[in-house]
Amino acid sequence: MRIASQDSGKSRRARRSEPVILFSVAHQTFAISADSVQEIRSTDSLAGAANEIEQPLLAKVRHTIERAHRKYYVINACTHFNLPVTRPTLVLILRQLRVAVLVDKIERMVEINAVHALPRAFIGEERRWYRGLAYVEDHVIPVIEPAGFLTREEFQALDRITRASVSHREMEGAVQA
Amino acid sequence: MNVAENADRGSFVLLQVGEQRFALPARIVVELAPPMRLHTFPHTSALVAGVIVRRGHIVPVYDVAPTLLGKESPAHRFYLIAQRAFGAVSEASAIPLNGECELATAEIRPPDQGHRAFVSGTLEIGEEIVELLNFEALVTQPSAGSTDALQAEAQS
Repeated sequence: MRIASQDSGKSRRARRSEPVILFSVAHQTFAISADSVQEIRSTDSLAGAANEIEQPLLAKVRHTIERAHRKYYVINACTHFNLPVTRPTLVLILRQLRVAVLVDKIERMVEINAVHALPRAFIGEERRWYRGLAYVEDHVIPVIEPAGFLTREEFQALDRITRASVSHREMEGAVQA
Repeated sequence: MNVAENADRGSFVLLQVGEQRFALPARIVVELAPPMRLHTFPHTSALVAGVIVRRGHIVPVYDVAPTLLGKESPAHRFYLIAQRAFGAVSEASAIPLNGECELATAEIRPPDQGHRAFVSGTLEIGEEIVELLNFEALVTQPSAGSTDALQAEAQS
């Protein structure tokens, strides 16, 4: 019998240190790879650029923003992680995915030497939310899996809804003209 | 004592949760760890209160008091670390305790009629009847309570 926490932990450890951004949401600290974040903006600076979308599928998505001709879905991290809703002040705009994440504040950047596998005891949505756990200055902090914010199916559903919404608005505009 | 009786005798760790004692097979118990910081983060797994770091490893903590006692237990003093099997591999897992543990040898008796699913037998220790726990069944029980008390303790 092998000890899972030792073997799988070693296999998933990064070979070199990785810069991560520590941010907080509802007094919980999370880490996200600095490479996966393209831009950090204040919510105030994006207020005019955000478009509200009405869709009943995902409570965590209420707005979209346009950046470099791409539509990003804005995820409320409090809702995503089932945390008490706070008033976010910052938006993390991700690099590889059309996702922007509302967070409360950036704590700092640190280098982590290892991402430990999430123990097998965790069997819920957290397996999709996190790449694993990092040990930072006596604190165990979950390391975000960027692809865990929206599944491919959720992207497709949101894309359908936003396309339909744009068509509807264009049709209304044509009727009024 | 005949061979069959010998096979039924084994070593057990007696542990205290709240004001009650329970038993686990000694072969799955790794150690009794001192109080240490419980790290919590958002998740949706029932019974898991958070993790502790023990000997460089991240160990999940199961809040079993609501399942065993039907209520939250008072402040925890120790963590019992046991191996939980996941197919061919096992994972160190912790449960918070209120008192020290004791090693005992006893004969396993069948559980009482109408026993709870995670009770695999009983042990007669002196004049006390102690329920023998099936660790796997215990930590996969539907949650009988919440882990709020443990998490509040971790944040205090």
